[in-house]
Amino acid sequence: MKCKKAERLLLRSFDGRLKNGEREELGKHLKSCLSCRKKSKDYQLLFEALKEKDFSEPRPYFWERLQAKLKESKKPEPWLLWKQWGMRAIPLSLLLIVLLTTALVFSFLHRNEELSQSGILLFRNSNPIQETKALLEAEKIEDRNMMIIFTSLEGKNDSRRYSP
Amino acid sequence: MEERELVELSQKGDEEAFGALVKKYKMKVFNLAFSFIRNQETADDLAQEVFIKAFFGLGQFRFKSEFGTWLYRITVNHVKDYLRKKGRMIKMSFENFRMTQPVEEDEVARIENEQAVEQRRKLVHQCLQTLPEKYKVILTLRDIQGFSYEEITNILKISPGTVDSRLHRARKMLREKMAPFLIEKGGFHEM
Repeated sequence: MKCKKAERLLLRSFDGRLKNGEREELGKHLKSCLSCRKKSKDYQLLFEALKEKDFSEPRPYFWERLQAKLKESKKPEPWLLWKQWGMRAIPLSLLLIVLLTTALVFSFLHRNEELSQSGILLFRNSNPIQETKALLEAEKIEDRNMMIIFTSLEGKNDSRRYSP
Repeated sequence: MEERELVELSQKGDEEAFGALVKKYKMKVFNLAFSFIRNQETADDLAQEVFIKAFFGLGQFRFKSEFGTWLYRITVNHVKDYLRKKGRMIKMSFENFRMTQPVEEDEVARIENEQAVEQRRKLVHQCLQTLPEKYKVILTLRDIQGFSYEEITNILKISPGTVDSRLHRARKMLREKMAPFLIEKGGFHEM
């Protein structure tokens, strides 16, 4: 057995994770290898030194102090709120956006388009300049002007008003 | 009352039930923090913060692991955050641990007096602080706190194979760091 494998087995042996065959194999190697015996002793001492000899205790009134802090921080920090609700809010917001977009698209497609005066006349298959033609064809200038004034007063569209 | 019941009540905001959980886990959480920090007051403060975090995070606990494992995971992450924020890479001062000449075989027994053992412990823990974080964490969990491989797998959320290889590497690194203090025959120099 090579020393590299022996070291791996040695470290596993401290965790009690060696199989029977491996234990014997390691034992044989340790008997014949001075360097690995030294490693074994080093590790043993390291583990002993690492282990807590006596566990210390938290300061007195641990729960009472904690309880007071809990009461103080009942209102969770904004990041905690985000952590708690943020992930749930994302799909909800997406759903809301999709719904709003759909509603907007539908309302755009089905809206009643308002037609201009000329548009209405064209829609009714009438001649849009028929009215104007009669005015223009009037013989007297006074009559024509009066007709234009009365026509413009009847019309709702300001743009058609006569402005001398 | 069963632990699951206590957790469920705590999730609904029952402080008394949470108090029972704190009573059960405070020592373990405190000692885990203490293993990393080596300072009683700071470890106490960190343990309190861990329980506050746990209380407000209980809503996310889905019983996929043991409550204790979940709590230890919070502890390890909280301590890691603390050390990062603090930028506290504890510098080793070897001056306190001046090497002496290797001692004779018959004198080795003398090393085993209380003072030397305590100094050795301090030295090993200081060397531990100089290891990269992931190795420091795994050594603390396994060799100081004595968590099982399975528990470490769950706390750190890593595979059993990774636990095995990382632990092996960490132990080797620690021994290498300790090399100047180890005598040729194995063991420590007299301190």
